[in-house]
Amino acid sequence: MIKVENLSKSFGGLRVLSGVDLEIQKGECVAIIGPSGAGKSVLLYCLNALEKPDSGRVTLNGVDITDKRTDINKVREKVGMVYQNFHLFSHLTVLENIILAPVKVRKLPRAEAISRACGLLETVSLLDKKDSYPDQLSGGQKQRIAIVRALAMDPEILLFDEPTSALDPSMVGEVLAVIRALAKQGFTMVIVTHEMNFAREVADRVLFMEEQGVYESGSPEKILVNPEREKTIAFIRKLKTFNYKVDSYNFDLIGMCARLELFCAKYAIEKKQVNGANLALEEVITYILKYCYEKPRQPDINVTVEYGDADKKIAVEIAHDGKSVDPFGKVSASAGGAVDPDYLGIFMVKKMSAEIVFSHADGLSRFKIKI
Amino acid sequence: MAHSAGIVRLMQIFTQLSESIHANLIAGDSYLYILSGLKVTLLITLAGLFLGTLLGAVLCAMHYSGSKAVRFAARTYIVVMRGTPILLLLMLLFYVVFARTRLDAIHIAIIAFGLNSAAHIAEIMKAALASVDPGQVMAARTLGFTRLGAFYHITLPQAGAYARPVYQNAVINVIQWTSVVGYITIADLTRVINATGARTADPFFVIFLGIVIYLFLAYATHLLFTLAGRKTRTAG
Ligand SMILES: Nc1ncnc2c1ncn2[C@@H]1O[C@H](COP(=O)(O)OP(=O)(O)OP(=O)(O)O)[C@@H](O)[C@H]1O
Ligand SMILES: [Mg+2]
Repeated sequence: MIKVENLSKSFGGLRVLSGVDLEIQKGECVAIIGPSGAGKSVLLYCLNALEKPDSGRVTLNGVDITDKRTDINKVREKVGMVYQNFHLFSHLTVLENIILAPVKVRKLPRAEAISRACGLLETVSLLDKKDSYPDQLSGGQKQRIAIVRALAMDPEILLFDEPTSALDPSMVGEVLAVIRALAKQGFTMVIVTHEMNFAREVADRVLFMEEQGVYESGSPEKILVNPEREKTIAFIRKLKTFNYKVDSYNFDLIGMCARLELFCAKYAIEKKQVNGANLALEEVITYILKYCYEKPRQPDINVTVEYGDADKKIAVEIAHDGKSVDPFGKVSASAGGAVDPDYLGIFMVKKMSAEIVFSHADGLSRFKIKI
Repeated sequence: MAHSAGIVRLMQIFTQLSESIHANLIAGDSYLYILSGLKVTLLITLAGLFLGTLLGAVLCAMHYSGSKAVRFAARTYIVVMRGTPILLLLMLLFYVVFARTRLDAIHIAIIAFGLNSAAHIAEIMKAALASVDPGQVMAARTLGFTRLGAFYHITLPQAGAYARPVYQNAVINVIQWTSVVGYITIADLTRVINATGARTADPFFVIFLGIVIYLFLAYATHLLFTLAGRKTRTAG
């Protein structure tokens, strides 16, 4: 269905893709992951000739789209594309957005295009928005409309470039549900995404892009759970951890908590656990700032949060180079009597954690807390 | 007593007004003369704008040319034209460039306003095109539209909506600047008003009338643009 041979592409002196080979079967759903700037979008754009490769060939259904004699507009009708930023036509209503290309490009009778568009709108539960303008819709609604607009051309191949990256976390689900349904219908799809769980669930194959090409590829299990090559391992690990550095006495507590919540949202972690992690971070960091550092010295506290797929626990690690004190040891000593109000927070953290380990080595103190 | 003095004063004003109307508009079919001036003003405005829009589109297209020289030519033209007072341009064309031709003064004025407004209109068009989200054009191309198709269905309506209010201002500017064509012997609305006021030695009435007519033209322009804007929605 899609065949990429020895594809290379540079921008000025910057080599983005070099010698990429790739074959995608009909009905296959391929997810592309990789760090920013790895050329994921460029590769995707080469698949419908939005970018012209410097060398190499791209064949869709046996048609060489890198050949100058190919009518690229005809080919594009069969390749639907969905962008991170939707790109709905802002001067047209939802319905007009959807029927524009079927009527003007495929010359479908208007009435037929409308009835098909309404049918498609119904499948994404947005029929009641058909006369709205794009700026009246939420991000999730816009993206569902953009998907419908692509589907209205009856494409054989669907390309998605980070379809949920511009969305509010609360709207990611509705868009993923639509894409999931399309995968079930057997569309040939290529999805660039940062949603690892989603990739794992819908993709038949995952490509990890790095070093100007496909660095490692294989089944979702293989790439996302047991990657073999060094950079893939590092990338996957990084994705699964949340890092934060505290280097000031008035650090942005609310900002840190918000980012932690975003991170947790990706893994559908229970609300109670998220709150617990937030509390642990807040209390322990406040304690460290108060008792382990003294003023002219700048604090240097590193926070790492990881979610364990196996034990379903959040592992919080807090490391600092200040004075080595273990507040958790102190609360246990006075556990029998009333808790010192200064230690109330620490006491609460201790109560709801599954495990707390304190260690000190090479001038670094480390708290490992499992929630 | 004061009361009846007021009535007398009012009567005087009425008599004066009817005398003014008679002298300035009716005597010797003077209103036809004023209408002929209005016609000239409208002709120069509309034909000048037509020419200016065509030339403006060409200049705008030159701005997107691959050739550096072509882009430079367009930019230079725009800078020079925007910096040249329209009256001096009119005089240059009338007394120098077309002095030896038999070209009618009105045609020279149309050319002058065409050349001048083209620079402004080219700038308007450039800004309008730049306002269109390239992502939407790309999306149209992905759906199978040709370059021209995407331009016609996406770029043009959105750029048009963006340009409409600015273009409306340009039109009103041209209407008002045509009032200087009297300098090159053209009997436009302003010159006709001036002549009438001089003839009747009653300038106040007719100048006031002239202002009202220009105001009306501006208002009519506004109305036309609003009507045209109803059909297409401003891009959000
Ligand atoms: N039209 C362009 N002109 C110049 N450089 C470009 C162009 N498009 C992409 N690049 C460069 O090519 C590289 C790869 O870009 P690409 O958009 O494919 O990255 P990506 O993997 O999609 O990253 P992201 O996750 O940020 O979207 C980047 O360094 C980018 O700056
Ligand atoms: Mg990208």
